[in-house]
Amino acid sequence: MSDFLLEFVEITQTIGDGLFFGTTYALIGIGFSLIFGAMRKLNMTYAAAALAGAYVGLAAFTFINAPAPVVFLISALASGLIGGAVYITCFRFIPINNHLAALMASIGALFFIDEIVVHTTDGSPLTFPALFDDVMFEMGPYGVRGDLLFVLAVNIVSTIGLLYVLYRTRLGLATRAVSQQDVAAQLCGIDVHRTNAITFVLAGLLGGIAGSMTASAVGVLSPLITVPLTVKGLIVSVIGGLGSIPGAIAAGLLVGGLENGFLYFRGVNERDMYVLLLLFVFLIFRPDGLFGSAIDRD
Amino acid sequence: MSTTKLTAAALAGIVATALLAFAHPVVAAERTVKIAAWGAKSGPLRSFGVNSEAVLKGAIKAINDSGGVKLGDGTMAKMEFTYYDSACNADQAISIARKVESQTAALAGIGPTCSGAAAAMYGIFQKKVDDKSDSGLQFPILTDTAIRPGLAKKSQWTFRNVPNEITMYDALFKWLRSKYPDVKTIYGGTETDQAHSRITFAAVIVQKAKKYGFEWVGGGIEGVSGKIIAGMKNVLKVSKSSNWLLADTNFSVQARAFKRSGADMMIISSHPFTTCGMLKEMRRQRIKPKVLVGLTSSSSAETLKGCSAAAEGIYIPTGFAPITKAAAKVAAAAEANGGAADLHSAAAWENAHIIKQVVEATGVMAKPETLKADRRKVRDGLEALVKVNGLMGEIGRVQNEGESIKPYVFVQAQKGAWKVVHDPR
Repeated sequence: MSDFLLEFVEITQTIGDGLFFGTTYALIGIGFSLIFGAMRKLNMTYAAAALAGAYVGLAAFTFINAPAPVVFLISALASGLIGGAVYITCFRFIPINNHLAALMASIGALFFIDEIVVHTTDGSPLTFPALFDDVMFEMGPYGVRGDLLFVLAVNIVSTIGLLYVLYRTRLGLATRAVSQQDVAAQLCGIDVHRTNAITFVLAGLLGGIAGSMTASAVGVLSPLITVPLTVKGLIVSVIGGLGSIPGAIAAGLLVGGLENGFLYFRGVNERDMYVLLLLFVFLIFRPDGLFGSAIDRD
Repeated sequence: MSTTKLTAAALAGIVATALLAFAHPVVAAERTVKIAAWGAKSGPLRSFGVNSEAVLKGAIKAINDSGGVKLGDGTMAKMEFTYYDSACNADQAISIARKVESQTAALAGIGPTCSGAAAAMYGIFQKKVDDKSDSGLQFPILTDTAIRPGLAKKSQWTFRNVPNEITMYDALFKWLRSKYPDVKTIYGGTETDQAHSRITFAAVIVQKAKKYGFEWVGGGIEGVSGKIIAGMKNVLKVSKSSNWLLADTNFSVQARAFKRSGADMMIISSHPFTTCGMLKEMRRQRIKPKVLVGLTSSSSAETLKGCSAAAEGIYIPTGFAPITKAAAKVAAAAEANGGAADLHSAAAWENAHIIKQVVEATGVMAKPETLKADRRKVRDGLEALVKVNGLMGEIGRVQNEGESIKPYVFVQAQKGAWKVVHDPR
């Protein structure tokens, strides 16, 4: 193979790997967007809750030797419960218009959840189970990790499930109604607090899947990744358009792919700088993100 | 309440007060040698602090069980320690150092876990003793974990008891040269946002590899001559696509760079979390170098907890392994106290014993009125040390630099455990 072809393969493989890994960013971004779409508030605990859920799943793996699918399921359920608890403690009793108080409360909860994990595990990296970890599909010069294909499949199924709930169920209708006009929704008999709480649980379930898929893709779980994952989730949801689920998916893949590209061409020290520059460019020239805000409040 | 009961209660109160009043001077008369220790007890690097505290607790118990510390007037005093959380944060480490120096009766300090925090904290200590123009802290520190080369010489009050990576990697590559004569090329990567990983990789490991005839793939790196630090910037430049950050989760690009290199020997200079991430990705991409070398900090239980299968075969030099009776005792004590003894934390045991030795040798009085003089005696005593007994053998002191030369061994990950494969002691 000529040098040009080798380089071409290398670049496309690099971008492809990034796109696959970007699916985990997309899931985190969707969670941020879901809650922002419903309440117009940022839930900064989202990634921390997602990883805390993954730790609960890991406990099942460690103590009762639960198989990987059960670990993923437990992670999702635990994260859903944590999501509900976060709603009650950080959002439920704070006046709807006091955005700063809710933001600060959720930042506090982010570090609180993270410290609980740190104190429980002493911060040690722990092996996280993965499915198809050793499988590598090779197509000519290209290779695709089996576990990342599995993560992609899970992410697609989760997103379809979420979209189904949002657009084909009464709960989804209520969530969309509350996100568009909470007072009108209340006048129509929708319990706003209950709907918001369910949205947090739903987002939490998705977060648990994202957390366990991220841990599964790395193969190791550590509290070190909480803050970077929170930052990635925020970047993805802003680039995608806060409140937009398709935007979060597209932005997750975009960030994943570009991140790898920047790493390949410019090295690790400049990689994050370019990703943040991208965020800056979006905020200046396209503040509504790729897809704008799909759900808008009066 | 009747008058009799009231009188009895009043009398009991008077008696209790009198007892307390008489008891106080007795308590004050029991002098103690106080140590202040600090390290990461919160944040993602908490395991370092947990391990150091567990080892230190065991050391102080062992000292007190054997009678305590002999003071200048022959009194036997107990040793006590307080452990503070500096979270591997430079600001917190500095605040604790200031507080300990000004508000406690601690004679010496042990800490503060991370090299970055230590480097910043050492900066607030008086550079040269007796320099009246320098109002820096005058309090002796004997650091146990922060391993980045050459830190202690920042101040004459700061000392370290950490392995010397320059010596260790020199010996490791010399040994690897004789064990693997057919190995010619090397390639590697590091966590560039961690000063210890980065500097050790670019300034020490690659240089020592070069010194013993291992060439970076593609004909070497400009400026790298085998001398420490030479060509360091170029090392980081040529490895820019194979480096990563401490909290990275995706290593596909770096692992492919390793694979593309086709090097005989691969080097992973990072802490356990990313060492595991990188090793797992290398396994997925079926990268099997003839020799794999890791950073000293990864020769810990954390790496084996995170990725024992992927780490199989990696060589790392370390200043601690439970291969002597004393080291095995420390490993057991650490475990009993909820921690683990490793190359970082085991030094806390030695440090407590070194401080005991110095206190006894310099006639420390451990009285409130002699605190300043006692701290100075401890400092002078630490500086005067030439050799001390360590867990793995004799520890040499580099007196004008505050550093140590510790015995070391080479370990290899084998079936989920660290096995000593070479013991040059």
